Amino acid sequence: MTLLTVLFSSCIGDDIIMDRVAETLKITTQAASIAAGETFQFEARFTNNIGNTEEGKVIWRSSDESILAITEDGLATAITRGNVVVAAEVTLEDGSLLKEEMDVEVSMVTVAIEQPTSRSGVIATTTFYDLEGDFILNEINGGVSLEIADNYKATDALPGLYIYLTNNPNSISDALEIGAVTVFEGAHTYEIAGVNLTDYDYVLYFCKPFRVKVGDGAIN
Amino acid sequence: MKNIFVLFSFLLFTISVQAGGGWTQPKGKGYVKISEWWLIANQHYTDQGRIDPNLTNGLFNTNIYAEYGLSDRLTAIIYFPFFSRSYVNNEISGTTGDLLTPGEAINSIGDTDISIKYGLTKNSGISVAATLTLGLPIGNDGGGSQGNLQTGDGEFNQLIQIDAGTGFPLGGTNGYANVYVGFNNRNNGFSDEFRYGIEAGVTLFKDRLTAIARFIGVKSFKNGTPSAESTNTSVFANNAEFFSFSPEVAWNVKENWGFSAGVGTALSGKIIYANPSYNVGVFFKW
Repeated sequence: MTLLTVLFSSCIGDDIIMDRVAETLKITTQAASIAAGETFQFEARFTNNIGNTEEGKVIWRSSDESILAITEDGLATAITRGNVVVAAEVTLEDGSLLKEEMDVEVSMVTVAIEQPTSRSGVIATTTFYDLEGDFILNEINGGVSLEIADNYKATDALPGLYIYLTNNPNSISDALEIGAVTVFEGAHTYEIAGVNLTDYDYVLYFCKPFRVKVGDGAIN
Repeated sequence: MKNIFVLFSFLLFTISVQAGGGWTQPKGKGYVKISEWWLIANQHYTDQGRIDPNLTNGLFNTNIYAEYGLSDRLTAIIYFPFFSRSYVNNEISGTTGDLLTPGEAINSIGDTDISIKYGLTKNSGISVAATLTLGLPIGNDGGGSQGNLQTGDGEFNQLIQIDAGTGFPLGGTNGYANVYVGFNNRNNGFSDEFRYGIEAGVTLFKDRLTAIARFIGVKSFKNGTPSAESTNTSVFANNAEFFSFSPEVAWNVKENWGFSAGVGTALSGKIIYANPSYNVGVFFKW
């Protein structure tokens, strides 16, 4: 009876998920040049070691404050003609510095750098299940569209295969669930509202019942 | 879909040497076994037959298996998992230590099999019997927040099986062998199955100890809906296949009762757990 009692009540344990990813820092609003006397708001996105976006971590700096002054939150004021390096910096948990830099000219006109309207990548399996194919993530009105190419193929042997957008390909805990996978071969498209083109860096395929990642693709 | 492991456990563990196979119970005689079967799995065979990890899932069945001879040729059989527990582990971040997804568990009765076995031979060197098994879907086929905790499948099995067995002296002791083939007709979009098995045993220590080796296989006809299109999100997916090895020992404490213990492991498989399962039980016969 003791054995049966133990078995009856056993035993939800803990599975450790190796979900660490490299921190990322990207400047998302850039200017090649700023007209003297004008201001420009730089923006950047920082994701931490589990892929979560963290606000307020980025510190902005200018290589020459006499040419281009910039506040810590990225509001730049062009003062006089010249060239500077604008840097976005984040101090990580271990004390190291993560930095992204760009060259900026203070001139007669302001020229913002256009951001791309699409990104692309390749889906690949990370398991012993079939999964492959190219994709393009396009900016559309009110969101993005994820176009899976005609070379796509996925196993239909798994119950509960889902597709996500995420910044951490090792976990779905903070991922955006697009939906259940219902197409297993050939081209098809998902439209995802309320998402910006630069919000996520990975497409992730995940089997819910097995609770395992099946494959992913970095969004380049 | 039939919770394959429930039936798997039934096939592997609840039929001991004192019962089952090509032999029927004599009229008025019976056999009862109460057992605990469990499986804790953190890996599974993929559809390519390779092993991949999965979140740890545990399944425990407390079963009663009974045979009763309605006549010398006709035996009634029931397999009833009267307590079944399925759980999945918590997911913990290895980076932050935070709880990512809480574990869950369900408790219920499990899918139950009732069978009728008819002896096709009488006073023959080889005993042949035909068995019709009906798998009653009375377990929970979609427990937990993700529907991936199961003690049953909501699917009705009809298994027809032919067994042939024979006993023989073996170096001063006794041995037996049994083979079977079966066809499992399944509904609700799940593929039918071909089942086969071979079993051999030998008695030792003046017939007190019986050592058994079983090889069991299931091949899917793959004539159901693809697993991904099934509404059943169980890890016990449609089109599961396996070939397993299951040694067992049974110790007769007295002539009419004893203990048994066994282990089963899939030597190969597709869409099925790759970890071994275990069982312990006590049996009675009269």
